[in-house]
Amino acid sequence: MVRVGVDVGGTFTDLVAVEADGGIRVRKVASTPADPATGLFRAVETLGAAAIAVLVHGTTVATNALLERTGARVVLLTTKGFEDLLWLRRQDRAALYDLSRAYPDPLVAREDVIGVAERMGGGPEGEVAPLTDQEVRRVVGAVRALRPEAVAVAFLFGFRHPEHERRIARAVESALPGVPVAASHEVLPVFREYERISTTSAEAYLRPRVSAYLGRLSGKRRDGSIGSISAWRIMTSSGGTLAPEAAAQRAASLALSGPAGGVVGARLVGEAVGILDLLTLDMGGTSADASLISGGAAVSEGAGTVAGVPLALPAILIETVSAGGGSIAWVDEGGALRVGPRSAGAVPGPACYGRGGTAPTVTDACLVLGWLDASHPLADEVRLDRAAAERAVESLGVPAGAAGIVEVAAAVMARALRRVSVARGIDPRQMTLLPFGGAGPMFGCALAEALAMRRIMIPPHPGVLSALGLAAAAERVDVIAPLHRRLAELRAEDVRDAFGPLLAQGVGHLSAATLTRFADCRFAGQGYEVTVPAPQDNPETIETAFLEAHRARYGYGERGDPVEVVNLRVVAERAVPGPRFRAKSGGRPKPGKREITVWGERVTAEVWPLEALPAGFSFEGPALLAGGDATALLEPGWRATVHASGAVIGERGGR
Amino acid sequence: MTVDAVGLEVMGEAFASIAEEMGLVLIHAALSPNIRERRDCSAALFDARGEMVAQAAHIPVHLGAMAEAVAAARAQAPRPGEMFVLNDPYTGGTHLPDITLIGAIDLDGQVGGYSVVRAHHSDVGGMQPGSMPAGARDVFAEGLILPPLRLTPEVERLILANVRTPAVRRGDLAAQRAAVERGGDGLRALVARYGRDQVVEAARDLMAYAERRTRAALARLTTTRLTATDFMEGDGIDDRDLPITVAIEIRDGVFHADFTGTAPAAAGNVNCPLAVTRSAVLFVVRTLVPEDVPMNAGVQRAVRVTAPEGCLVHARWPSAVAAGNVETSQRITDTVFLALARGGVPVPAQGQGTMNNVTFGGVGSREWDAGWTYYETLGGGQGAGPAGPGPSGVHVGMSNTRNTPIEVLELEFPLRVREYALRTGSGGEGKWSGGDGVVREVEALAPMEASLLTERRRHPPCGAAGGGDGAVGRNLLKGGLLPAKVTARLAPGDILRIETPGGGGWGHLGEEKT
Repeated sequence: MVRVGVDVGGTFTDLVAVEADGGIRVRKVASTPADPATGLFRAVETLGAAAIAVLVHGTTVATNALLERTGARVVLLTTKGFEDLLWLRRQDRAALYDLSRAYPDPLVAREDVIGVAERMGGGPEGEVAPLTDQEVRRVVGAVRALRPEAVAVAFLFGFRHPEHERRIARAVESALPGVPVAASHEVLPVFREYERISTTSAEAYLRPRVSAYLGRLSGKRRDGSIGSISAWRIMTSSGGTLAPEAAAQRAASLALSGPAGGVVGARLVGEAVGILDLLTLDMGGTSADASLISGGAAVSEGAGTVAGVPLALPAILIETVSAGGGSIAWVDEGGALRVGPRSAGAVPGPACYGRGGTAPTVTDACLVLGWLDASHPLADEVRLDRAAAERAVESLGVPAGAAGIVEVAAAVMARALRRVSVARGIDPRQMTLLPFGGAGPMFGCALAEALAMRRIMIPPHPGVLSALGLAAAAERVDVIAPLHRRLAELRAEDVRDAFGPLLAQGVGHLSAATLTRFADCRFAGQGYEVTVPAPQDNPETIETAFLEAHRARYGYGERGDPVEVVNLRVVAERAVPGPRFRAKSGGRPKPGKREITVWGERVTAEVWPLEALPAGFSFEGPALLAGGDATALLEPGWRATVHASGAVIGERGGR
Repeated sequence: MTVDAVGLEVMGEAFASIAEEMGLVLIHAALSPNIRERRDCSAALFDARGEMVAQAAHIPVHLGAMAEAVAAARAQAPRPGEMFVLNDPYTGGTHLPDITLIGAIDLDGQVGGYSVVRAHHSDVGGMQPGSMPAGARDVFAEGLILPPLRLTPEVERLILANVRTPAVRRGDLAAQRAAVERGGDGLRALVARYGRDQVVEAARDLMAYAERRTRAALARLTTTRLTATDFMEGDGIDDRDLPITVAIEIRDGVFHADFTGTAPAAAGNVNCPLAVTRSAVLFVVRTLVPEDVPMNAGVQRAVRVTAPEGCLVHARWPSAVAAGNVETSQRITDTVFLALARGGVPVPAQGQGTMNNVTFGGVGSREWDAGWTYYETLGGGQGAGPAGPGPSGVHVGMSNTRNTPIEVLELEFPLRVREYALRTGSGGEGKWSGGDGVVREVEALAPMEASLLTERRRHPPCGAAGGGDGAVGRNLLKGGLLPAKVTARLAPGDILRIETPGGGGWGHLGEEKT
């Protein structure tokens, strides 16, 4: 039985199959943006596998619906007097100095917001103004008249007192069967009304689209034309996977489904090698995603904003910058060389693709520097034209030329890496950088140096690591509930009782799962929480863990100041058979040679076949690793050793 | 050796991320909603000569006004690793609630730069909870004055003994200290990586680069002398108009604003130290410069601000200044924008031109403090511009703080929000309409004092290029109209309603939108 991961990207759809014995097979087909399912099934067909046990899918359907604003028509029900909250946002402006810039429109039209006469307060008593039967009837009538495709319900303090939300949601559901209703106390039961209303609206907005897509997948799966797939899982932004039926009810949690797979893959490789603290960088065609793996776990945080829509759901920490292979280089009026955010995309693409592009891109620079091989096509139909790349780079008129472009691109990516590490109080110097994606492995050494890191790791199959992560991701579900209590006033029984329903939910989603408990804590009065493991009921152990984490992050944290538990979280996880990462045993590959430019100097680099290197083999930079799906660069001053897993570990010499 | 184009980008990113990181540390660790939710704070990195290398883009009124703070600390002969605190508006500060911490960064036993974090503490003592008293007649009434001092445990005890909410202040100061220290760590890490000379060189080159870009942008503008006058609506003691007059000349890429003709300093608290006036003008210049220009001392070199000593915008000790920083600064930008608009420079019509400062305070709602104070400012309409309508319900000009979530506010303070909405139709008409103001209605659940420092309750934000004016704002207590600047006692059940101004429209109504 085979587990399959499918990563549908903007240009390529990558598939990785992990056999029962851990063996890995890779497929790459062109994506079909009009209906991503078509490309997905084409990839599955090329595999020709008899029986697939599980297919895990990383999808950009939710992301693209947000980007392109092609979700459902949503009616939003909110507390009367607060109908404008989605427009008021947090009152800070879209740009500090560009005074006319407007925020993207919310997902709901203003005329589709209905104020409901009701009010909950924050205190234990809850109700401040009742929700009358008459009001429920009025609201249901008004909703029906608007003929929505989905309904969002988000009242003030609904996270703590959900009774009113629940009543109106039930009334709407029974009056409009088939119209999905998302209520804020289910979608995101935490405080800060704007972020909760925005997230709940996004859930309603995405739900019809996501369920339709997942339904189409199930339909094609059932018609039997592509062999047998026993089970499907969909990757969420938090790196967990959900059954399609559950995913359809948690559509907003798929907003970062695509990049999450890569981080999971990076974590797996790290585990196989025994490196548990990693900075990861997934560099694709138009952007690069940085993330962080700490102590063997992907770091989770609220997603912040996706496509201008605030989403406060748990998500793997991902910082995206506009620096991909297709990002265009230019010179600004002050004479500084810049890269991105404009991208040549797949069409016309970099100048060297010969598809009509003339603007110099990062890929063109890599080709001019000799990092990419013009005689080695990127994919079947893309042959690289070195002369075109040179013309494009020269048109910039910058003496640094191609070397400058890659250095600036590296600076932009370094900033994303800093934001996930240094900016969060985490020192990257003792960590290992794991670059992947089609273009990432060429930048590993430069980025490591920019962050004063000494070690990089080129994973096996760097170009399809996201799909690999999907195939081998542990099945994982995150559940959360608010608590808002002082630690000092909690007894061990209170902690146990509060976790009870969450643990039950976790098992409900994922039977036979390992359950891990966490508490979001802060000093009373702080507005942001630090999430710490809470394996024991004793509140003192939670406090100790919090103080340690706070000290590590902010440099202070004394016992004695009151500590609050804001939310409890449970992560349910079920491991799956992992891939077998194994380097070739024995044999000494023969290197090719190529003239390349690194740091402005012409050097002769050895060119090694990435997949043919035996375990224990070591070599020095300058060197290129030519893989089937990506090329890696080991700069001068670096030495690399092939790990038994097939990962190549590069270490910086003593300079 | 000068840093090349590539190094410029690399080092610019490095400095900027240090400043951003300092800001994040403060926001994530602070206790008071004003800092952690509204983000009324700024962080910057200075070189050893006291020139600003990078600033995290937070609050414009803090822009460029931090150099004075560093100069004040440098006058105290700082030793490496020492940390200073100040809020004295006449020695490096702006108004008393803005407490600034300045760390002298230790680079191998020498002061290698300064790490600076400014945060608005919604309580620095004084005659009224919230420390933004509407009726103050001198700076002493406005709170505890901190000249540049080494931040020792004794100094901290002195601060905490003079405020109504010592526990919250202690937490905020701890967070602020942590943020300053993070800045020092960041600079040391950078020097360890690139070497000290390279870092110093890069900082200077970045300033020169920013100056080049700023001058290039200014050189494209008209050079005739432009003038305008606008008014403050009273000083909190009486409500006579106080004129602010500006004359602008742009020559050789330098923007010179002169405020001769402006009213003398007022008896109330609407006075500005020159540092605030300078940052208000700097803000306007910043909007004329492409957004990607790094914010550092180089931008400031292209800006010159002069004003007669002792006038409203160049106040002398011991004038009261609480509202100068938040309200007069807004009118200064309005006046400068107005002059530019009249000269045909494509700038937006006037925005709401006020921060609508509202301070509530009372006794004993939070168990660990003697009292409570809550400070908020409200967004309004932005002016429409040549390219489109003005955004609604946002902070304009010198503020960019966020709101306090209703669910935070009601959990922490005895207040209930009854309505929070856009004030539809309050933006001025025009080819492009001005942004709408907001309506905020709050009910007191306990006895308390409320202090309002607001503007544009009489003179509306002007439209531009034929556009209509925005609606003036209104303050209502129990349905009755309140003055623009006032302190009032609220009993449980009393309802305070603030309606903020709309922005001015741009172009004639009905003109074709191209």
